[in-house]
Amino acid sequence: MGRFRANLMVCAGSGCVATKSLKVKEAFEEELQKRGLEKEIDVVLTGCNGFCAQGPIITVHPDEIFYEKIQVEDVPYLVEEHFIKGRPVEKFMYKEPTEKITIPSMHEIPFFKHQVLRVLRNKGIIDPEKIEDYITRDGYLASAKAVTAMTPEEIIKVVKDSGIRGRGGAGFPTGVKWESCARMVSDQKYMCCNGDEGDPGAFMDRSIMEADPHAVIEGMIIGAKAIGATKGYIYVRAEYPLAVHRLQLAIDAATEAGLLGKNILNSGFDFDLEIYQGAGAFVCGESTALMFSIEGRRGMPRLTPPRSTEAGLWGKPTVLNNVETLAAIPQIILNGADWFKSLGTEKSTGTKVFSLTGAINNTGLVEVPMGMTIRQIVYDIGGGVPGARRGRKFKAVQMGGPSGGCIPESLIDTPVTFEDIQKTGAIMGSGGMVFMDNSNCMVGMAKFFLEFTTDESCGKCPPCRVGTKIMLDKLSDLTEGRGKEGDIEILEELSYDIIEGSLCGLGQSAPNPVLTTIQYFRDEYESHIKDKWCKVGVCRKLTTFFINEKVCTGCGACMRACPSKAIIGEKKKPHRIIQEVCIQCRTCYDTCRFQSIIIGPADYKGDPMALLKE
Amino acid sequence: MPRLTIDDLKKIKEEHKATFAVREGGCRAKITVHMGTCGIAAGARTIMTALMDEMAKADVKDVIVTTSGCAGLCSREPMATVEIAGSPPVKYVELNEKKIKEIFDEHILKGNVVEKYAMVVGSETTY
Amino acid sequence: MADDIKILVVDDEPVVIKSCKRILEAEGYNIDGASGGREAIIAMEQKPYDFVITDLKMPEVDGITLIKWIKKSRPDTGVLIITGYPSQETIKDALELGIIDYVPKPFTPVVLMDVVARAIEWKQRTLPAEAKKKEEEFPPSMMAELDRMISSYKDKPGSLIPVLQRAQEIVGYLPPIVQKRISRGLNIPAAEVHGVVSFYSFFTMKPRGDHIIKVCLGTACYVKGIEEVLEKIKENLHIGVGEITEDRKFSLEAVRCLGACGLAPVMVVDHDTHSAVTPKKVMQIIDEYKTVGAKA
Repeated sequence: MGRFRANLMVCAGSGCVATKSLKVKEAFEEELQKRGLEKEIDVVLTGCNGFCAQGPIITVHPDEIFYEKIQVEDVPYLVEEHFIKGRPVEKFMYKEPTEKITIPSMHEIPFFKHQVLRVLRNKGIIDPEKIEDYITRDGYLASAKAVTAMTPEEIIKVVKDSGIRGRGGAGFPTGVKWESCARMVSDQKYMCCNGDEGDPGAFMDRSIMEADPHAVIEGMIIGAKAIGATKGYIYVRAEYPLAVHRLQLAIDAATEAGLLGKNILNSGFDFDLEIYQGAGAFVCGESTALMFSIEGRRGMPRLTPPRSTEAGLWGKPTVLNNVETLAAIPQIILNGADWFKSLGTEKSTGTKVFSLTGAINNTGLVEVPMGMTIRQIVYDIGGGVPGARRGRKFKAVQMGGPSGGCIPESLIDTPVTFEDIQKTGAIMGSGGMVFMDNSNCMVGMAKFFLEFTTDESCGKCPPCRVGTKIMLDKLSDLTEGRGKEGDIEILEELSYDIIEGSLCGLGQSAPNPVLTTIQYFRDEYESHIKDKWCKVGVCRKLTTFFINEKVCTGCGACMRACPSKAIIGEKKKPHRIIQEVCIQCRTCYDTCRFQSIIIGPADYKGDPMALLKE
Repeated sequence: MPRLTIDDLKKIKEEHKATFAVREGGCRAKITVHMGTCGIAAGARTIMTALMDEMAKADVKDVIVTTSGCAGLCSREPMATVEIAGSPPVKYVELNEKKIKEIFDEHILKGNVVEKYAMVVGSETTY
Repeated sequence: MADDIKILVVDDEPVVIKSCKRILEAEGYNIDGASGGREAIIAMEQKPYDFVITDLKMPEVDGITLIKWIKKSRPDTGVLIITGYPSQETIKDALELGIIDYVPKPFTPVVLMDVVARAIEWKQRTLPAEAKKKEEEFPPSMMAELDRMISSYKDKPGSLIPVLQRAQEIVGYLPPIVQKRISRGLNIPAAEVHGVVSFYSFFTMKPRGDHIIKVCLGTACYVKGIEEVLEKIKENLHIGVGEITEDRKFSLEAVRCLGACGLAPVMVVDHDTHSAVTPKKVMQIIDEYKTVGAKA
């Protein structure tokens, strides 16, 4: 094998592929060949790097130079400068958003600096489509150890001692789950992986399956040995074609190498693995529903007990673990329980992967020790809220998807652990964090989630099927100016009924987004009802827009942006909104760089300046 | 790929270690070839090629080669800087294929600085 | 033929209406005039028109507002614009609203006649799409492949969903006839097959367009304003979510989180993911697919 002096890592996660990273890779290969460097510099495709907003992402080793947003036309220049002349190109490097300082090295960028990579340790380093790469990073050593040299009891003990809890939502201890399944006597058991990442705003599982598919498979082999399963399924959402592709390549390669399938490493242990593609139903993330779906039926949850570990897939004892949990297992086996516990808190051990999205500068995927505060995640890693100069600031973070809740600014110092997040009324969920700034309407947010659950309710339990619909109608009333005194109380009452009367986690947690927003943003609900006023200007029927003539510079930006041509005014003189033509789309508010747009209640006829005192 | 054994897993790991030394940054020695316009004109490219050949021949896994821009001493190009972890960097000047091979054998593999080609030990102060 | 066609000319300069009348009536068209947007709306509420030719810059209700009204309330009426300010910006705005063509001002009779004739031709060409809607026929080769695929799964437990997925790939959608074939082939009651098809959002019983537009309704995309993007698409293609355009070029689907939240708001057309989509950009992106044939 020839040697390369440098490796050029091109991110091929879904995010970067969407921004044409594959074309960029081809361009690099072509250009390197043209320059006669193809034997010196290797171009490698990697899984998701996590810093999706900056894609396509290129890292150059050994110099550790991080380039962002590289386009095909940038390639010749970059090759010339960096690889021929040896001058890393500053203009393609990452710029710190608030200070605009260029940071060349990946490890210096705050987004990466504060992370501890365990589950994501191979991201951006290995080519996920090459099993040799994974093996070089100690791949399959843990499953080899588990299969050839450990008893099921020993495996379960290490996993239990590590304290790892399921990364999919509820945080059930993984070792305990394995133990209860291992105890069952049955002619057939199943080891399954839940890759039905349904929470909108969460994409860590997709990323892991794409970037390090072998780690998931290895975790499953270890689990299979622990519980005595010989057959397994990975259930992947239909929306993740790239993950399915990479997992299938990985399964084929591992099977061919004798690391998976019959008689693994000549140990006599068999484990066959198959991918099962979901067909688009949020409720299938619930374990009993997921198993019905694999059986080819409508994915509707059933009453537990019996638990799946006793009677799961086709009535046989089954363990279902989340992708991230399984990907963490090999490292625990290799490095031991104490190593895993050395990070995190007493009850929430280890690290956790989070996806940061919404109103935050650095959107992407991060892995941090449990117990880091929301503040640290927002400011140290996330780089704060965009548009700070226009007065935008952190308002809340939504965690746990449609089953979770909104955590307000006042609780920003909450450490991110299973138990602390639960105390706020939200849940850890799978780790999706959607940030909101002060231009987001919380009533609208609650309505958004109710739309989701109403649509995704499987319909089995009437409190969930009908209750969520009534709640949605109420919330629609609120956002469209038909809110009445007492509506908040009705919403709360309905919530408790739904929580009590639903069978599965989806129903029981569906009202959480409403309950938490009422708890922390009651004033917003009240102003929607009493004042017919959506103070952030999102609910169109509850707003009137004005221009603050004292602040307006007459730059004309809003006038050009207004889709209904409702803004008039001369250059450099304060502009004015013609209320009869205004469609309350808020474009002017989002466009204005001087914070001169005032948002008033519906049909406000008074002096706009008086609103500022509110 | 044929069926593997545990020993094979370790073998694969050994074989690919060099590639990953580049990516992970854990290396014993680093050679920087100065490839500014002047360096290239003076023949830095042949130095680089020769070096890559030597690396492949010796099959070392913990040495990385990188490039940098002009070192500022254009009259004495081609130049290369050798850094062994824990020792000060050494700058070699006026290199050719033969010299770089010798440096590679003596300095990188055996750890002896080749003083006859070295210009200076230690690097410029950068503040 | 020409005397069947009714055209309304809207302009605040009476001379423009007059000259349009003179030129077009000579060709045999029926021409009415209106001196502004408001008058035009009143006229259109009285009787239907095949085409409206309107100025953009008019006092009170301007051309853009009028076009919006027409698109909403009289979608069958074709719109042409006359403009003395053919700047890229205004033309683009108007094109985005779905006008057929534009006439730069000042214009010669030949240009006006030409544009109108082309508009009529265009409108007639789009009509047969209606007729195409009829009974769906599948080529025998497609059915044979379907049967081959079904039988390969025959004795595998839990194969219904994979079979439906493959069937949808082959046929494009899952009409009753396909469901029945699967029911027979796998020996599963038709009711159960239908139950599964209707449960999962991935399956569709309606035909799909040449290009499938999927708009992500995940939280991150919501926070970043995907709703306005969706509205814009609906407005321009005149279809709702789950529907298909008349010419069968596009179908519009809403999906739950595509997991590309870092790029929000996200839209996928066929297999291409488009990131950071804005209401302004979205129709440009979709237009690029108009000229491309059906996906492979």
